[in-house]
Amino acid sequence: MTFSMKRVTAILQKDYKDISRNLYVTTTLVLPLIMAVIFGRDGKSTLELIYMIINMGLVLVGTYVQASLIAEEKEKNTLRGLMLSPASTLEIFLGKNLLSFIATAVIVTGSILLMNYNPGHVPAVVIALVLSAIFYLGLGTLIGLMTKSVVEASVIIVPVMFVFSFISFMKPFMEKYPILTFIEYLPNMQMLDLAAQAQAGTGFGDVGSNLLIIVGWVVFIHILAVYVYKKRMVEE
Amino acid sequence: MLDIRGLEKYAQDTIVFPAFDLTVERHEVTALYSSMNVRHTLLDMLTGRLAISSGEIRVNGMTLAEGGKAYLSQVGFLLLEEGTYENLSVKELLSFYKKLYHSVPKIEDVIRFVKLDTKANTRIHKLTLSEKRRVQYARLWIQDPEIFIFEEPDQNVDIETKTVFQRLVSHLNELSKAILILTGNMESAIGVTSRIYRLDEKGLKAYDIQESLMRDWEDGEKPSESTELEALHTEDNLSEVGDAPANARDSLSSDKDDELADDEVELGESPVIQFVRFEKIPTRMNDKMILFNPPEIDYIESFEGQTQLYINGDVYPSTFKINELEERLRTYGFFRCHRSYIVNLQKVREIVTFTRNSFSLILDDASRTSVPLSKTKMAELKDMMGLK
Repeated sequence: MTFSMKRVTAILQKDYKDISRNLYVTTTLVLPLIMAVIFGRDGKSTLELIYMIINMGLVLVGTYVQASLIAEEKEKNTLRGLMLSPASTLEIFLGKNLLSFIATAVIVTGSILLMNYNPGHVPAVVIALVLSAIFYLGLGTLIGLMTKSVVEASVIIVPVMFVFSFISFMKPFMEKYPILTFIEYLPNMQMLDLAAQAQAGTGFGDVGSNLLIIVGWVVFIHILAVYVYKKRMVEE
Repeated sequence: MLDIRGLEKYAQDTIVFPAFDLTVERHEVTALYSSMNVRHTLLDMLTGRLAISSGEIRVNGMTLAEGGKAYLSQVGFLLLEEGTYENLSVKELLSFYKKLYHSVPKIEDVIRFVKLDTKANTRIHKLTLSEKRRVQYARLWIQDPEIFIFEEPDQNVDIETKTVFQRLVSHLNELSKAILILTGNMESAIGVTSRIYRLDEKGLKAYDIQESLMRDWEDGEKPSESTELEALHTEDNLSEVGDAPANARDSLSSDKDDELADDEVELGESPVIQFVRFEKIPTRMNDKMILFNPPEIDYIESFEGQTQLYINGDVYPSTFKINELEERLRTYGFFRCHRSYIVNLQKVREIVTFTRNSFSLILDDASRTSVPLSKTKMAELKDMMGLK
């Protein structure tokens, strides 16, 4: 069977219609926007605060929507039917990733606009955001594969959201406990670092290492997702 | 199309089913009557969820391992416990499958065929169970595979859905599709096909469906006549418990739903006893049921509406009417020699003519029992023996 874009869009449309009628998901989607309105109105918010909200958008939309899309297929017992269809695994996951990515792009762009955030070096920040979004999608796939229902995914998403949204406030602790320096390498911290440099007006060359680390995370999380998927399929 | 060769399955120490061969060709509707366990095992093997340890399943000559998606694109499954995207409307769901499968059938036609045109824009979670099942029929048709595999296609559905299913099967049959129905309910199998097999731990057995019975079942399909059929069966029930009228009254007064359910079971099970070559005739002695192999029986007499089996000089009352016994025993070489007698022809030694119009059969037993033979039956018997 050859790769078919028509099938990918079919899956994308189906998932869009299905998930947009799921109240669990839709109410979660507007949360980052509300946060952006509350915190961003004064226009004096710090970079940390802005990135907390952007990361929240990435997690709640990218990761959560992606996890729900997969968990729901499992919950409703439809994944098996999809596996028996001519659509390949690649097509199924591409369709889902595409939908989550579009949703993420819309919500994150929306919250950035609402907060009047102006990144210094736009291309670098956009590339970093896109890469981060891909990382969060992978994370969502992973959570979706490991949970059995949308509700379960909603529960798991809470600690994930804390780690990736609020950890930037742990910086003071890091100086106290050197063991926590690994936090520095989490994709959201790299993102923040990159944004700070961009704000200061540096070029691509200076943020290269940040981008590279994020790319590393992207590759890592997707390999993990593929591994878990294969393992789960054997079990079922 | 679908070719199963030497497929077998053992679960620990028990046999789920021994090796069997089954082929389903185009234009063929085959029903496989089996227990739930066997059904699930077979379906898991067909869908590749369960590895096949010995034997093979081929679709158009390829196994799942060889063909992969090419194998799957040929086969369409309607599973009993299949989930669906309940937030979508009927039309949205079907158009999704149409795109997914790049298929030909027109959504509007299919929706009309399964009688969901008024619900086309209704979300699936608002539909009734029967309507959901019809959506599944439509979905499978939209998939447009070459081989249709249905699991319990009309379990717990209303009469409208059953009718739709039967029309669907005959329509697909005309489109030269191969159809396999896996069911634990004989009624749903008989409703659509005469190629029925039973698969259990003893292997695959074909049922020999008699044409007259087929007609009965087909009549039963039509809702208007189903009551008639039901009445017929209630009558049967009554005659069976005729010895104990109290029993009959009890069962009549019991919950009506129960009664119907019982009838269903009865409908499903009674042909099973009849179609299998292996069968015994039950008789009632005091509180015991005694089962006899047909060849043991010497002859059967009907006296004041009560049939009695004569075996080695002993008499056993039977619960069946003489007409029913004649039907059941015909294949064993029994002959209705008189209005109230059936004789085992293997045991007849002599045919005695008393007068021009009076005959008797002398049996080959110690007391040389004689059984009357009527004049008309004498002519029939002569024909059977090739005499003029």
